[in-house]
Amino acid sequence: MSMRVTQMMSANVMLRDINDGYDRLTRLQDELSSGTRISQPSDDPYGTSRAMGLRGELSGLTQYQSNVDDGTGWLNTSDTALGQISNVLQRARELLVQGGNDTADQTARNAIADEIDQLTDSVKQEANVQYAGKYVFSGTSTSTSPYQLGTASDRYAGDAGTITRTIGPNVQVPINSDIHQLLGDGQASGDNKLLDTLRDISDNLRGGTTADADALRGTDLQRLDANLDTLNEIRADVGARTNRLALATSRLSGLQDNTTQLLSDTQDADMAQTITQYTTQQVAYNAALRAGANIVQMSLLDFLH
Amino acid sequence: MTSSFFGLQTSLRGLLAQQQAIDITGHNIANANTAGYSRQEAVLEATPAYLIPANSANNGSGAQLGSGVDVASIQRIRDQFLDLQYRAQQMSLGDATARTDSLDQAQTAFNEPSDNGIQAQLSRFWDAWSAVANAPEDAGARAALVTGAQTLTTTFRAVSDQLTTVAQQAQDEYDSITGPSGDVGNMASQLAGLNRAIGDAVVRGQQPNDLMDQRDALIDRLSQLAQVSVTDTGDSRLRVDFGGVTLVDPSTPTGYNWPQTLTTPGGKLGALLDLASPSGPALTYRSQLDAVARDLVTSVNALHTSTPFFDPAGTTAATINVVATTATVQTGSTGAAGANDVAQAIAALRGGTTDQLYQGLVAQVGTQTQAAETAQATAQSLSDAVDSRRQSVAGVSLDEEMMNLMRFQRGYQASARTMTTMDDMLDTLVNRTGKVGL
Repeated sequence: MSMRVTQMMSANVMLRDINDGYDRLTRLQDELSSGTRISQPSDDPYGTSRAMGLRGELSGLTQYQSNVDDGTGWLNTSDTALGQISNVLQRARELLVQGGNDTADQTARNAIADEIDQLTDSVKQEANVQYAGKYVFSGTSTSTSPYQLGTASDRYAGDAGTITRTIGPNVQVPINSDIHQLLGDGQASGDNKLLDTLRDISDNLRGGTTADADALRGTDLQRLDANLDTLNEIRADVGARTNRLALATSRLSGLQDNTTQLLSDTQDADMAQTITQYTTQQVAYNAALRAGANIVQMSLLDFLH
Repeated sequence: MTSSFFGLQTSLRGLLAQQQAIDITGHNIANANTAGYSRQEAVLEATPAYLIPANSANNGSGAQLGSGVDVASIQRIRDQFLDLQYRAQQMSLGDATARTDSLDQAQTAFNEPSDNGIQAQLSRFWDAWSAVANAPEDAGARAALVTGAQTLTTTFRAVSDQLTTVAQQAQDEYDSITGPSGDVGNMASQLAGLNRAIGDAVVRGQQPNDLMDQRDALIDRLSQLAQVSVTDTGDSRLRVDFGGVTLVDPSTPTGYNWPQTLTTPGGKLGALLDLASPSGPALTYRSQLDAVARDLVTSVNALHTSTPFFDPAGTTAATINVVATTATVQTGSTGAAGANDVAQAIAALRGGTTDQLYQGLVAQVGTQTQAAETAQATAQSLSDAVDSRRQSVAGVSLDEEMMNLMRFQRGYQASARTMTTMDDMLDTLVNRTGKVGL
């Protein structure tokens, strides 16, 4: 049996269809204007939590990148300072060889000793280098300069703490170098480290005895060479860590691209698809409106006169 | 032997009956757009026949001469079974609609995904700890961290407040509907009034169709709120059971009994009670948000050992609070200016249990809202379908009414023509007979 259809029924059905059509149109319009598929969690609960996770990940990656940049700046500062110290050491070695030569008289040796003292200060000055207002060679005591200039004290004022930068989840890279193992605590400690060596060289140059001259040619030179080796080790280590950070940068930017892509796939509207759907929906909506205008006003009334 | 004027009487009955039928058609057309109106139909019936002696010479029997037509009753066309179905659907629609509205509000409270929701602020909070780890000496970075943390806790409190409000609104709506001057009370008193009027009319042998429509429309509305069942107690007076209690009872002096406590509320009222209860969605979400806040407080404080970063007593979303100041933010386990191990450890909490708990919560809110929306859409279309069937039976079709109008108009015209014919015959009889010789 066919259903009896009344004017109110068809008007209701028409109204409902037009409402549904307009609702779908509005949703698509919202997708198009916002560019995202998900405007609230119920649009796609799984997609929402995934998008939230990816957003968190992305903001983490951005932060890691900025940590890497900061660490790179720190390491570059260290490397420059260590390079300067290396130059100073080369010069000190030349002077040492020159001063150890029997042809050098005491006046010349005193002049060389003066220069060695200057070089010692230069080394300390380089060790006191700062990055963004922080002493890079003081361990974690970054607001204390590691060495005092002048001859008053050669004692290391920093600590042995390690400073790290996080460059990935649970991946930390130390960015400071232990200058103390190179420079030491000076003559008073007799630790054969650089400052001790330089002070001894200076003393031997000024001493003028045969023993002094022997020391200049023998132990002093050996000790300076040993210090140079330590310096080179530290520089190699800094270089290796700089490389590691450079690698991290390229890895992070790759991850950032991937995550951005994933996030976009998860939450962004597929424009081509959405526009097509929107156009189709618009046609359907217009048709519903036109049909509504035509059908609902017609009844037997129109044909009875 | 019938009277000479018998045929006039028959025609008159025809005229009157057709006219009444046209009146009823007019009433139907006038109410074509009245909600809850059931179309009415004149039940035409031949009037009792008149016994005439016909052929009595042969067998003594008579014949029955029809005496015309009468409107026996005016019937309301309505299918009570469809009413039952419609009311059952209305109940689940009321339930689903209340749930969807409330869950939508709860979902909006979370404001996810966005750049200002708790998720984004958690990210910024971890960023701020990283910034502090990169520059532990910098008071500016610590100040930014403390401000960011305060914004985060404010957002926690705001979301918690809004969830409380969502539950409270459900309770308020329940109270307002069931209150002394609420919808239920009003409808109950109207139903009691209609019961009396309908009963009185039925006792007098009338059929109060329009009053019955009004009563049915009220019961329809009531059925959205809770489980409704209807029993005829005689004379078309209805007893209405509502949510497990008797709401309208014709046998009582006032005819209804409200307010009282519903024993088995279903429909919208049942949903509202559930939504307002501590085990309802809004307050469940709130306690899950409390768990997120608690996790944040304990995990950060466990690493920030010198002084608490968050108030250790504030372990709910409503009470979470930053007690650290720029001066007390701990960056390292040693007092050294550049020590940053604590800050780094806290920054490493990024993506940890706090974030995961929160993401799980938002996904759950989304899933439940989506399920409620689907249930609501289903209930709506089922209810629409039953309504269509009901409309199909009871609704006014203008085409049909036009047909009836033509039918009854023609009937009226034909009865009038019969009357004219009778008149002509009587004219012949009265004015033209017996004139021989005049």
